[in-house]
Order: sequence, then C-alpha cells, then structure tokens
Amino acid sequence: MYALSGVTKTYRKGHHAVTALDNLHLTIAAGEWLAIQGRTGSGKTTLLQLLGALDHPSSGVINFDGRDLARLPEADLTDVRANFIGFVFQAFNLIPTLSAVENVEAALIPQRLSSAQRRGRATDALANVGLAERADHLPSEMSGGQQQRVGIARALVKEPKVLLADEPAGNLDIDTRDEIMSLLETLWRDRGLTLVVITHDTSIARRAERVATMRDGRLGIDSGATIEDADGN
Amino acid sequence: MNGKQTRPRAATGPQGPLGRRQEHGRHDPPSPARRRRGDYRFFFTYLARELQCRRRQALLVAVGLAVGVGLVVTVTAASTGVSRAQGAVLHSLYGVGTDVTVTKAAAAWNLGSTGKTGSGSSQFGFTPGRTVKHEDLLEESAGLGVLPASSVAAIARLRGVAAVAGGMTLVDTKLTVPSLSQIGPNGQPPASALTPATFSVGGVDLSHLGIGPFASAQLDAGRSFRESDADANVAVVDSSYAAADKLTVGSTITIAHVAFKVVGVADQTQGGGADDVYIPLRRAQALASSPEAASSAGEVDTIYVVAGEGSDVSAIQREIANLLPSATVTTASSLAGEVSGSLASAASLINDLGRWLAGAVLVAAFAVASLLSAAAVARRVREIGTLKALGWRTGRIVAQLMGEYAAIGLVGAVLGIAAGFAGAALVDVLAPSLAAIVASNPGTAPAQNVTMGAGGVHRFIAQGAQHTIPVHLTAPVTLDTAVLAAVLALAGAIIAGSFGAWRAARLRPARALANLA
Repeated sequence: MYALSGVTKTYRKGHHAVTALDNLHLTIAAGEWLAIQGRTGSGKTTLLQLLGALDHPSSGVINFDGRDLARLPEADLTDVRANFIGFVFQAFNLIPTLSAVENVEAALIPQRLSSAQRRGRATDALANVGLAERADHLPSEMSGGQQQRVGIARALVKEPKVLLADEPAGNLDIDTRDEIMSLLETLWRDRGLTLVVITHDTSIARRAERVATMRDGRLGIDSGATIEDADGN
Repeated sequence: MNGKQTRPRAATGPQGPLGRRQEHGRHDPPSPARRRRGDYRFFFTYLARELQCRRRQALLVAVGLAVGVGLVVTVTAASTGVSRAQGAVLHSLYGVGTDVTVTKAAAAWNLGSTGKTGSGSSQFGFTPGRTVKHEDLLEESAGLGVLPASSVAAIARLRGVAAVAGGMTLVDTKLTVPSLSQIGPNGQPPASALTPATFSVGGVDLSHLGIGPFASAQLDAGRSFRESDADANVAVVDSSYAAADKLTVGSTITIAHVAFKVVGVADQTQGGGADDVYIPLRRAQALASSPEAASSAGEVDTIYVVAGEGSDVSAIQREIANLLPSATVTTASSLAGEVSGSLASAASLINDLGRWLAGAVLVAAFAVASLLSAAAVARRVREIGTLKALGWRTGRIVAQLMGEYAAIGLVGAVLGIAAGFAGAALVDVLAPSLAAIVASNPGTAPAQNVTMGAGGVHRFIAQGAQHTIPVHLTAPVTLDTAVLAAVLALAGAIIAGSFGAWRAARLRPARALANLA
C-alpha cells in the first residue's frame, strides 16, 4: 500500500530549520494495522500527514498504490484524500453546526452524489457505528465517545483503503477508549482496511500487527518489523 | 480483544452489524442535475446552519453594511431631490425640455444693463395735445436684444438639433398722456398719469408649444393655443394675473389697443419665466414696437433649442455660438451655476459633505465586515482543515464561505434599502423649505418699473432683478438607487468574504491540523 523511501520533512521555524522526519524508510502492506508511538515532537503526526496526502515531504518518495504522493500536485492530493483515505482525529473535528448525519455526509461531498444517495450512505455509516438513533443530534448533544463514533463513521463512509487515526482515544476515558478501539478493530478486520494509528497508549499499540516508534524524526523497529532502518537496511 | 491482531482476509459482500456494507447507488451514478441539486442542498443547509449559529456576528456585519448602504441611499435620494428641484427651477425659467437658449444682449439704448446689479433706464417722450390721450404700448423688453427670426431656421438646420422655437417677451404699458392744460408749470404731469399700468406679454410659437416657458404652464381653465390661432387675437392668462385683474375664460384683455379674448387660464411655477399674458408669436411680433421701429415683425428675442441627445448639447452650444457670434448661448447646466440661495447650499451640503460621509461610513462598514470575516476564518481553521482532509477542494470551501457572506450581504441590502427609505422619508418630513434665488435669466426680460415724469416715460430695469423660487426638498428613492444599494451591500459582503476566503484558500491542511493532536 505504502512504500516510503528517504522521506525527509523540514520546517522553517524563524531562522532555524527543524527536521521533523529524517531520511525515513517504511513499507506498509495493504490491510495491515500499524501503530506508531513516540514522544511529543518526535515526528509521528508529520508522518501521518504525509501518509494522508495532507502535505509534501521536503525530499524522498511516498509511493501510494503506484503513485508518488511527493510529486502529486495539490489537486491530485485532494482527490487521493477524497477517495482513498479516512481520517480519525483525537479532537473528533466534527463541524459543530451540523448534525451527526450531516457531518458524515460532508465526507461524501467530493463524491458528487445525489442528496438521497448521500443521506442513505451516511445513515448506514452511522448505523454501522451504532448511532442510527443519534443521526439528527448536534455534536454538542453527544458524549465524547459518540462524537468519536461519528468521526469514525465519517472516515469510513466513503469506503477508503486507508484509515489514519491520530490518537483516536486520546480524549476518552478508559471504558470508552476500549469501546472505540474495539470498533476500529472490528472495522479493520471486516473491511480489510489498512489502519495506521498514532498513540501514546501502549495498551492500544499492543493490539496492532506492528508497532513502530518515532524518535527525533527517525523510525525505530519494534515488532513485526518490515520497517527499515534509516539507511534502508 | 487483546494481543496482536492478524491481518484480515479481504472483505467480501455484505457484512456484520458494525462492518456491513450497504450500497446506495454506488454503481448507479446520479445524473449531473441530481448531483448539482444534491450539492446545492448541502451548500444551503451548511450555510443556513452557520449563519444561524453565528447570527449575532452575521447580524452585526449585515447591520454595518446596512448603515453604510442606508446612508448612501438617503444621500443619493436627497441628491436626486435637489437635482429635481434644480431642474424644476430651471424648467420654470425656460420650459421643460429646453436644452439651450439663445438671446442677445440689449441694445445700447437700453443701457445694456442686465438689471442684476444696477439699474438702467430708457426715456422717451410724448407730446401733450389738447386732449388727454390713452396710450397702450407693446414694446420689446428693455433687457433683451432682438434676433432675426431667420436664426430660428438656421439653428434648426444644425446637427443634433431636435426642435427649435422662437419666443418674444414684451411689455404692455398703458399710460395716460395728459393734455397741455394738465401739465404743471415745471412740465410735471398730474399725479393720475404718474404710474402707468404694465404687464408682460409672451409671444408663443404655436408650432412648438412644448418648448419654452409656456410648456411649463398647467391649464387651469379653458383651452391652450392651437396652431390655427397663429393670427387670432386670443390669449392665455397666468392664473395669478387673472385673479388680480379678475380675468376669466371669455374675458377680453386689451393689448396695444387690440382686444384679445382670453381662451385659457394657466397655472405656472413661480419662476422667472412666467409671463402675465401669452399671445400667438405672430400677433406679438405684429403689435410690438420700439422707439426705433414701429413693428417687431420677423424678430424674436429668445430662441429655445431642444437637442436630440443630451450629449449633443455642448456641440450645439458651440455651433450656435459660431453661427450667431453676437448672441448669448446658455445651457441648463451653465444656468444651474447661477442658481443660489438655500437650495444651492443644500445641494452643496448633500453633494459634498453627504457623499463624503456616506462614503466614509460605507468604507468603514466594509473594513469592519472584512476584519470580522478574517477573524471568523481564523476561528474556523480546524473546520477548514478538516474539510480539506475530507477531500473538499479549496474552491468548494471558498464558495461555502463566500455564500455565507453573500447571504449576509443580501440581508444588509434589504436592511440598507429599508434604512434608506426611512432616511429619505425623514428628509421629506424634516427638510425645511428651501429657496432658489435665480438671477436674470435668458429669454425673460428683467423686471421693469415704468414711471412718467417731466421728461416723459422712464423705464427702469429693477434693482437686483432676481427671482426667488420656493422649493420643497423631497428625497425620492429611485429604482436605480435601490439597485445601487443592493450592489453596494453585496459588493461589501463579497469583499469581506474574500478576505476570509483568501485566508482559507492559503491555509494548508497539514498546518490547519497540526495542532489538533
């Protein structure tokens, strides 16, 4: 699914250049669940953004199903995000003025569906995460766990190939965390998704097929490794 | 579920309650029309929810725009009212629709005074006889020179001229010439002969009744002139003069010893162009005389010109000046500059201060709306970043933001037009009565005083021969003004929205989402 080779990402911060990712090599197979751990500022969110076609690397190759995301123009990256990648955010990122079902529908806007098709698929997606009866509620009328379920429904309604989750349970209590992670696991297993989860939580990371650890912009091998070291070995 | 997961097999077909896939036309792409309808529906749902949620801010921006737009509407309406008042004043001077007037400075024997700043006089004597004589003189105006009637035809041939009419303003003077026995030792006439009766007589070109001062007259009673009246002794009398002299339709009025039948009574705006009595031009020319000529046949003292297009006026003015170098060629705009008094002050106030104030408020409203728009986008960075992560194109996000501001602009336009109507109504109610002071004008003889003394009859051009015309200022809101208001409000909203949209367009999704973890 993904083959990253020599990926480097540097930012300018004032007069200084900050290296967020340093000559990173990584392969992620289709249908794999990869957990990425690391301290704050280690570069894991930057890696997720590059995997999610949200940004270009400073150098290197990001091969996604035969396309180099590093070379694609912004319009093509938008298409990749619209059709192949679902995001789940720590803070849910629901649009506060839209109801649950409208939030899910928002992910289908780029697909240019009819109103009825869009509403039908959004309703089904909510039913899939157990929130059919909350479809018309605003995010402010739902618990954190319910909001994250809406976020997951929104990420999956377009049937993406990849689900990228950035601390999906970071804002939830332990019970809700387990509930959300169980849901993600079930969806991953049933749909054959490629799942990449960033987490601080070791108990969540242990559920993954593979775990990688980011440290100062470099990936460290942890378990189930098809992760390569910084030199590509 | 604890421990490491194993890679799943490829998913197939409908699945369990949480993982099931259901198809909603996945393989049945909608028609472009249905897609568009679907897009519009979500667009307006999202737009309505955002405005509802941010209604205070939206209302603040809309009210700000409305205040600016309302002021522009009010000032524009007041300006239109002033323009119309000025137009009415000018029309009262030389008739509705007249674009150019041609006159000639008075001959030297009339001292060339305009009567505007000083006084002039002419003097001519009568030889007393054995008996008292009653004279009835119809004379050319002391303030205007004469032009040959052939000039009318010459001007009519000029390019861009739509219509031309000649006119003549005369003064009828009725006086009593005392007998020799009544003359005092110093040649002083008796008191009864000292104040001759005068009234002004306008000669009307009956083939062009729509041009010249008579065109402004509103018929109160009887009828107007007909072309067949050209050689008839018929008159239309000003209503004020008719009331003062107890004249009605059917009465007879004597002009130059000739009896004229009053066929109509007309009401005229109180302007400098109003004559007391109107008679056919040919009759006026035939009966008029001057100390130098027994008849004014073939003469006019004013030529009224109508241009085919408003843009032709300047060119026509130049061509007439070339054609008649000794003539004075006046246009409505050049005459407007001579209008003074509180109407001119109001025009100056509205056109200078009013427009400046309205413009400043409008710019301020635009600036505040723009800042609020930019601030709103700054608060919605996460939302915009999320939409970009969902695959929304920048153009779609910008359209959504612009749509919100266009809706605010529409509300601002409606409120602004309502405020403008209210402001214009206030102007109608509260505006004081204004006065237009008009100096001596083309085509109308300045007011004269005629007296008789030992040296004969004296005609004085009155000191400060000006006309004061009362004007009620109105502020009509025209369709153009309402459209202007709507365009301004929408433009303001779009400018404001553009600030926000510009920020949103520049926002990189990674940057927008960077701080979300």
